[in-house]
Amino acid sequence: MGFRDEAALVLRGARMQRRVIGALIIRELHSRFGRHYYGYIWLFFEPLLLGSAIGLVHLLKDHPAQFGPFEFFAIGYIMYFIFRGVVNRATVAVPSNMNLLYHRTVTLPDIFFARHIIETISCSGVMLVFLLALFAVNGEMVEDPTKIILALIGMTLLSQGLAFIFAAATEFMEGMERGVHAFTYLVLPASGMFFLVEWLPDWLQELALYVPTVHLFELMRDGQFGSRFYAHYDLFYVAVWILVTHLLGLAALRITRRRLGLE
Amino acid sequence: MTISMKLSPLITLSEPGASRGGEALEPIPPPKPWLVRLLRKPFFLLVILPSLIAAFYFYGIAAPQYVSEARFVVHSRGNDGGGPAAALRAAAGGGLGGLGGVMSSGEANSIRNFLSSLDAVVQANEKLDLIELWRRPEADFLARLWFTEPERIARFYNHMVNVTLDPMTGVTTLRVRSFRPEDSRELAETLLISAEDLVNRLSQRARGDTLRLAQNEVEIAERRVQESRAALIRFREQEQELDSAGAVQAALVLRGQLEAALAQARAELTERLQFMRPDNPALQATRNRIEALERQIAADRARHTDTNSSLGGAVLARQLASYERLMLEREFADRQLASATASLEMARVEAQRQQLYLSRIVQPNLAVYPLYPRSFTNTASIFLGLAIAYGIGWLLIVGMREHAA
Repeated sequence: MGFRDEAALVLRGARMQRRVIGALIIRELHSRFGRHYYGYIWLFFEPLLLGSAIGLVHLLKDHPAQFGPFEFFAIGYIMYFIFRGVVNRATVAVPSNMNLLYHRTVTLPDIFFARHIIETISCSGVMLVFLLALFAVNGEMVEDPTKIILALIGMTLLSQGLAFIFAAATEFMEGMERGVHAFTYLVLPASGMFFLVEWLPDWLQELALYVPTVHLFELMRDGQFGSRFYAHYDLFYVAVWILVTHLLGLAALRITRRRLGLE
Repeated sequence: MTISMKLSPLITLSEPGASRGGEALEPIPPPKPWLVRLLRKPFFLLVILPSLIAAFYFYGIAAPQYVSEARFVVHSRGNDGGGPAAALRAAAGGGLGGLGGVMSSGEANSIRNFLSSLDAVVQANEKLDLIELWRRPEADFLARLWFTEPERIARFYNHMVNVTLDPMTGVTTLRVRSFRPEDSRELAETLLISAEDLVNRLSQRARGDTLRLAQNEVEIAERRVQESRAALIRFREQEQELDSAGAVQAALVLRGQLEAALAQARAELTERLQFMRPDNPALQATRNRIEALERQIAADRARHTDTNSSLGGAVLARQLASYERLMLEREFADRQLASATASLEMARVEAQRQQLYLSRIVQPNLAVYPLYPRSFTNTASIFLGLAIAYGIGWLLIVGMREHAA
């Protein structure tokens, strides 16, 4: 088989995969929210409500010196919501879609891709709404939208890599899903949502920069109001995290698939 | 060779193809030479070949780069000579408190910023020819400086010159790379001198700002003292009176004496009236004296205090008022001068404290062994990075293929 045939095969597969993912997105939306239209609204409302609630709590509680607490925490929480949604739901993704796997064209990563696309699009939409609303109220323009978009993409990819690994681990280990739930809440204080690296003491800064999400939050806030603080981030480090988690995760999913097929 | 042995499944691929064809009528193609088979492997093409090229570059072509390292601290003289705080800081600073100062991390930060700025590049370029320095003939094609625009030189400079500040100890480390050991040392030395200049400039500025204000105050106070003295002298010349307060004192004494004499005369008169007839001529003398005394007292009062009287009246009161004003002014001026001098003294002390120093801990060294480029680390990370990317790509493509199957 020549290279050209191989490429054509892959291309055909890619086209098919796109259609499968599209179908999975629709199926996922239906199964999660029902067939009613207000279900879709809930997709946007969940992060919207949580983000506003977190923002309001901090509005009443404390004030970061450089910027309003609302834009700091609410926008940060929406970003965190991608991580939480993707990683938390990873553990149930395989069991709840088990019957789909009887179709040969549906592969395990497809299920995840579909969910992650939904998650990211809804959170990005909510973030856009928030940023526009803040612009309308405060008149504060986002300083560099490309950095925010880059941070959102990075956050999705990092969460996706972790989600692959966790999903595979759930199949191998009982009770993993509870551990993952606890994990998403335990990493919340360390995730970078609540702080800027420059607020931390020097020794803690060094530690915090080992956490990949801290870099992404810094990147997003650099785009949001980068001229008001000194952002610390290293995209190369995040890229290494994304690549390694994807490699391990995709490989683990292949093993998982084989295991599921035996049942 | 070992690689080719490991990754040679072309035969295994062709076998099922042949078997699927049933009775293999078609001739089995002759096995291709191992090199061709190897070159067909995507893993070889995408991962191993680039890594081999990288290894060839790093081990075979790349010119050695020599590092010159210098360390320094920026500190101010400080006011804590031997307090517990200084001792603590000395302990934390790894004994650097022995230099007799306080690390000033703000200044150290600005020095670090300066050293990675375009300004530092331009200054260094004026003293040394940076383009020439990074385009030595021994420099290899990839690592040498390609550009001549200052901004792009600055980017290359930041690649080759590394400044790190350890916030715990306040020690700034300057590492300079170039293709000759002498070049590295010379550039490090030049950069240190620029940094020292900057520190001196900053410190002079701070001193000047602190002192100038205090000196202005002293000047104003001095002028006021001189003016008040001059006004007093002018007053004395004009009024021909050395000490108005003394004059008043004298006038008061005189008045008191007059009053006393008057009282005595009156008492005498009253006493004599007891045993003399009022028209006794002996009383006339006493009456005359009383009258004279009263007149004199009235005149005296008019002269000194009565403002209603004709010209020359109330001279003493007027004099006293201006005199006291002048004296008060003099006193105030004296006090102001004293306090201004004291604050100038304090400002001097403060300025001494703000004096910044850049102390070299480690002089730029002359490298013997080239530490850069890090051949093994670079090659290994290129290999690892490509292998991971290849793995992901393979997994994704295989995933896509599954859909089509």
